[in-house]
Amino acid sequence: MVRIKIHTAYEGGWSDATEPLLCLETGFWRSERPVLDTNRCTHCGLCALYCPTQCMVDKEEYFLPNLDYCKGCGICSRGCPQDAIAMLPEESFFDESDE
Amino acid sequence: MVKAKRLPRVFDYLTDEDPFSGGLTLCPGCPLELLLRFTARVLGRDIVFVGTPSCSATVLYGQNRQSWHKLAYYSCLMTGVASSATGIARYYRKIGKDITVVAFTGDGCSADIGFQPLSGAAERNENFIYITYDNEGYMNTGIQKSSTTPVGAKTSTTPVGQNRRGNPNPGKNVPFLMAMHKIPYTATATLSHLDDLAKKLVKAKEKKNEGLAYIHVYSPCPTGWRFESDMSIAICRLAVQTNYFPLWEAERGQFRFTRKTAKPKPLTDLLELIGKFSHFTDEDLIVLEKEVEERYQLIEGMVQAWPLE
Amino acid sequence: MRAMNKGEIRTLTGNAAAAYGTMLCRPDVVALYPITPQSEVIEQLADFHARGLLDAEMVEVEGENSAINVVTSAAMTGGRVFTATSSWGLAFMYDGMLQAAGFRAPVVMVNVNREMPGILAVSSGQQDMTSTRDSGWIQVVAEGCQEILDLVIMAYRLAEDHEIQLPVMVNYDGFYLSYLSEGVHLPSREDVTAFLAPLKEQPPRPMLVPGEPLGCGTHGILEGFVELRYKHSAALERAKAKFDEIDALFQEAFGRSYGGQIEEYCTADAEIVLVVSGSAAGTAKAVADSVNEQGAKVGVVKLRIFRPFPRERLIQALKGKKAIGIIDRSVCFGWGCGPLYMELKSASAKIGKAPMLNFIDGLANTDITKDHIKGMIERAQRAAGGEPFQEVTWVSLEE
Repeated sequence: MVRIKIHTAYEGGWSDATEPLLCLETGFWRSERPVLDTNRCTHCGLCALYCPTQCMVDKEEYFLPNLDYCKGCGICSRGCPQDAIAMLPEESFFDESDE
Repeated sequence: MVKAKRLPRVFDYLTDEDPFSGGLTLCPGCPLELLLRFTARVLGRDIVFVGTPSCSATVLYGQNRQSWHKLAYYSCLMTGVASSATGIARYYRKIGKDITVVAFTGDGCSADIGFQPLSGAAERNENFIYITYDNEGYMNTGIQKSSTTPVGAKTSTTPVGQNRRGNPNPGKNVPFLMAMHKIPYTATATLSHLDDLAKKLVKAKEKKNEGLAYIHVYSPCPTGWRFESDMSIAICRLAVQTNYFPLWEAERGQFRFTRKTAKPKPLTDLLELIGKFSHFTDEDLIVLEKEVEERYQLIEGMVQAWPLE
Repeated sequence: MRAMNKGEIRTLTGNAAAAYGTMLCRPDVVALYPITPQSEVIEQLADFHARGLLDAEMVEVEGENSAINVVTSAAMTGGRVFTATSSWGLAFMYDGMLQAAGFRAPVVMVNVNREMPGILAVSSGQQDMTSTRDSGWIQVVAEGCQEILDLVIMAYRLAEDHEIQLPVMVNYDGFYLSYLSEGVHLPSREDVTAFLAPLKEQPPRPMLVPGEPLGCGTHGILEGFVELRYKHSAALERAKAKFDEIDALFQEAFGRSYGGQIEEYCTADAEIVLVVSGSAAGTAKAVADSVNEQGAKVGVVKLRIFRPFPRERLIQALKGKKAIGIIDRSVCFGWGCGPLYMELKSASAKIGKAPMLNFIDGLANTDITKDHIKGMIERAQRAAGGEPFQEVTWVSLEE
């Protein structure tokens, strides 16, 4: 009798979202990072609305990207009516201790 | 700085939390990612996505027993999307449960390989929502031409060289073809006008109880069309402002614009941002401008002849 | 045997018998698309629906590919389903068929055997069934109109069984059976419902439900894919014994048995055995009877299930025989013979040294006549006697 390693209890191709969701740390993709000038921000919410990864977190006074998932696309920066978001090179955030 | 008193009204449509995982395998700046997350949040948890191999499949389908999202979904082949959605909707109708089936595909499926079943489902007026994200080509397989690729555009199967200059054909006007099936609801939408999109999604959800609701979403592809990832939303907006992609809706053959541009911008404002048009000569531009103008006038004519009140 | 007292006898064509069988099983969703020689099946079902005898969602699809997708998705959502096709339609369904099998959807489909395209033909042949034998479906074959109706009922019991969960294709010869009228006993609705009722007591299969986190049709990666393939293959193997079991249960409920995976007709003492499937089995049995009266020892093995291949039962039935004649109503391209012959030959080591002769006959409505069968028996007898024999004979082409 063949003994097989069982990966799934199902006979057919079912996926089960009660298992941990698949998730990539897409933050590693970034070559630029959005940086917010909180003084300019009016909490209008457009960055949160248009962010494709929907990673903007509402901090009541302003929105900040969740850097685990932000891909650095720059849509928030381009779309901000107050020019409050700048896209800065990711390297400028590397600590020397990261080596 | 004065803080805004409240968030834009469109946030009120986002009734549910994002059921998708935080990190999805879609290109940075991909409007499809925004569309998927937005649609799921507006339509709610009790939906079944029906998907097909495409850019969306990479996140709609699971891998082995894990999934990228918390929603029920049914994966099928491109030839079977509208028919599979029919089967699910019909069974739930038989047992008397009101559910929302959302067929979600790219233009390659709706315009080409899946058009026959889509047309059949529309003719029979099946009860589901069909959303097409139109990135004007087969993107997931490497930027090949589809039946919605605009005339003159450069793709990997309609390249530019000594013997040819991009796509020779003007392509199918798929949303108009769907409206001509006289289904309860047809609409065009895009990701720059999210309030408009949200209203249309909500309306589609109601209308699907009467029959097929079809939404065609203009969804530019930064990777395939060659533009910077931060320009996606700006390009959607320009597409509307140049009348390249007018926003309209139709109910059983009666039409209405949902956004009218008083003074349309010149088409070049849009084309100069997009790499797949970078080889355009003046002649190429005239041909595309003519096609855009004719499509706009067609809707304008329908609005005059059969207006939707 | 109480069921025999209920129900009624009617004169039905094969197509009508299939439709009645389906109607009695109460499917939830039916997809309808016409193709000769099957159209009468769906017309009859539409008529039942119009008259209130069939309470189902009737989907008049625009093509067979849509038909298979409609019923597969409805089955994965929990419904009992039905569709019918033939030949070209089956070919058009092929991608959806692979999905139905891989998803383990309990779809029941009637396929009225007609020559598969390659050469246009509107005539009978089993090429459509044999061309799709690697789709992962269970394929069963009927000999007469009563068997068609009974097989449809048994097909639901088999497909929806918790240990199986596979789509079942019920085949019967187009033109020979589809339009042939025979007396058919129609069981009562209550008895059919009772026969299928044990399915409800089994553990429920996974279903697509909005709001539930189950997704149907995940992408199979590496061992995840291999595991599902293995499970599918194992389920097909289980279907053999299950088919025998269901035949026995059918006997108890309705008083009719067909022998399960194969019917063994006069094979016990036989020296020559003919292996055949479909309506030609009737002719073979009649000829066997007449030559046996003259002192011959001829038996007939009727193949009732083609996929999974009933290897074990065939080996048992054919072991020790002097010669075996295998009648194929289709061609196995690339092997120069018929598919039934090719598959049986792979089991020949266990069957023994008996010469196996292949007879390709009955393609495109060329009748498999009593004379043809007599000729096959004579060739087999000569081979049994040690004479050299022709391995493959295209009967209708030979003078």
